[in-house]
Amino acid sequence: MLTDAEIEIVRLSALVAGWSVLASVIPGILLGWLLARWNSPLRGLLQGGVMLPLVLPPVVTGFLLLALLGRSGPLGRAWEAVTGGHIAYTTGACVIAAAVVGFPLMVESIRLSIVGVDPKLEMVSRSLGRGRVATFLRVTLPLSLPGVIAGAVLSFARALGEFGATIVLAGNIEGETRTIPVAVYTLMNTRDGESAVLRLVAVSVAMSLAALLAAGWLARRRRRGQA
Amino acid sequence: MSIEARIHHAFRGFTLDLKFESAGPVVGVFGASGSGKTTLLNCVAGFIRPREGKIAVNTRVVCNRPGGTWSPPERRKLAIVTQEPLLFPHLSTRANLAYAPGAADRLEDTSGWKIIDVLRLKPLLERAPATLSGGEKQRVALGRALLSAPEMLLLDEPTSSLDAELAREVLALLLDVKRELKTPMLFVTHKAPELMALADDCIVLADGKLLAQGPPVQVLSRPRAIGVANLVGVDNLLRLKVLRHDEPGGVTILDLGGVELAAPLSAAETGRQVSVGIYADEIMLCLEKPPGLSARNALPCRVLRVDAIDHEVLVGVRAGATELLARITPAAAEELKLQPEAATVAVIKTAACHLLG
Repeated sequence: MLTDAEIEIVRLSALVAGWSVLASVIPGILLGWLLARWNSPLRGLLQGGVMLPLVLPPVVTGFLLLALLGRSGPLGRAWEAVTGGHIAYTTGACVIAAAVVGFPLMVESIRLSIVGVDPKLEMVSRSLGRGRVATFLRVTLPLSLPGVIAGAVLSFARALGEFGATIVLAGNIEGETRTIPVAVYTLMNTRDGESAVLRLVAVSVAMSLAALLAAGWLARRRRRGQA
Repeated sequence: MSIEARIHHAFRGFTLDLKFESAGPVVGVFGASGSGKTTLLNCVAGFIRPREGKIAVNTRVVCNRPGGTWSPPERRKLAIVTQEPLLFPHLSTRANLAYAPGAADRLEDTSGWKIIDVLRLKPLLERAPATLSGGEKQRVALGRALLSAPEMLLLDEPTSSLDAELAREVLALLLDVKRELKTPMLFVTHKAPELMALADDCIVLADGKLLAQGPPVQVLSRPRAIGVANLVGVDNLLRLKVLRHDEPGGVTILDLGGVELAAPLSAAETGRQVSVGIYADEIMLCLEKPPGLSARNALPCRVLRVDAIDHEVLVGVRAGATELLARITPAAAEELKLQPEAATVAVIKTAACHLLG
């Protein structure tokens, strides 16, 4: 069984992944919609910017985030001036690192499912008297919900496994920023850590698998509801 | 009801440039594909912003560009019904019908019941859209649009994705909507018979320009005169009065103006006008009435004009007070020696007289 310290690590990981998904789902939907429906030459640039964390080495992403949010970074300083606290090396930093790295997966999945919604359905909705926002909430979003769910699950799974950006931005502080991957790495370099490593690896596999199965189940249930 | 439009819009090498005014209440927009019908409809609906133009529905200006009024589609009160029914697949049939603002309340009162009644939607209410047939879906789409209480319905070839029988059914429903609910419509079609049956006034488009405007009978019944022959599938479009019904004989007798035409048995009351379409290919010309004829119509005619076009000859004849167009081969024209003023007999089978409502 897991020790109390290991349970704490798993709980922290789930918390970080959960918050990172919650924090990125609304911006993800907005950007996914923008990338799917916005006709502008700037769209390609925006898409590139959104996808960047997917192709950058996570350590580089972490470095850039630290430059921005660290104590001497512009956003870090602004945060300190307003709240008196710091962002880097906190649980919040773990959430930010996980959210940024998982964001491209979320946006791309949402974008693809919005592209799959027939724009003529939106036209009909508007000619029936529903404005842009109401049309989005009543037609576009419900019809692209499977993509939103898939995107949330993918980015949740990605967040669970996040290591590179996390260790740079948030460090390795027990109980605060030591998530499962960071703990596994630490334990691998610790004498007698093997059994703890195996337990955490098993939990990690089980959580990721459960997330994927849940997503599949939700998607099937939705399809049945529509039929 | 009135609509007034002046539009100049260029897009991807196509230019729509027209101006018209119509009192409707049902305005037909007729033309071949690529003539600008759908672009016009999208300008009226608010999905295309014309470079320049003014559009007013019932004197309410919805678009005046450049610089003036611009109402987005949702504030125009012009509900669109397209070729595909476009029901919202994630909603039930009832929720589709109740989609527009206020439609849920209308479904609960007499104005909504009337729409449900006219479109015979009651048996469909509890069914999922995916289980409906094509014609049923289009009925729901029509109901959904009407329940938004539009000032005008915008119909973009609403029957063209349906097979002939369902298309007739939807057309009949539109006639019921016009008669019972009196909803004004802007009706885009490339089918002349539909236009004849439904429209009070029609505009003909070609290449983004207005070719003709007037009552459909006038604009379409002499298509050659206005150069829209190739647009019209049926060459003879007539509005004729019902003289009497011969039920045992299976025919309805129509008045060609002194000459009688036997058409298939119709439900229209005696004295009413009906639209009839006859293909020019289905009119046979003879020098005298052939004996022992199964065709019910052997109409004495006088030839008005004979025009040879490519490998066919179009013969305009007058039967009673009505002009008919027959299409024959040059060889037949030669053998019959058809000349203007010559007497001839037009033989038309009853089944070739297509009643269009």
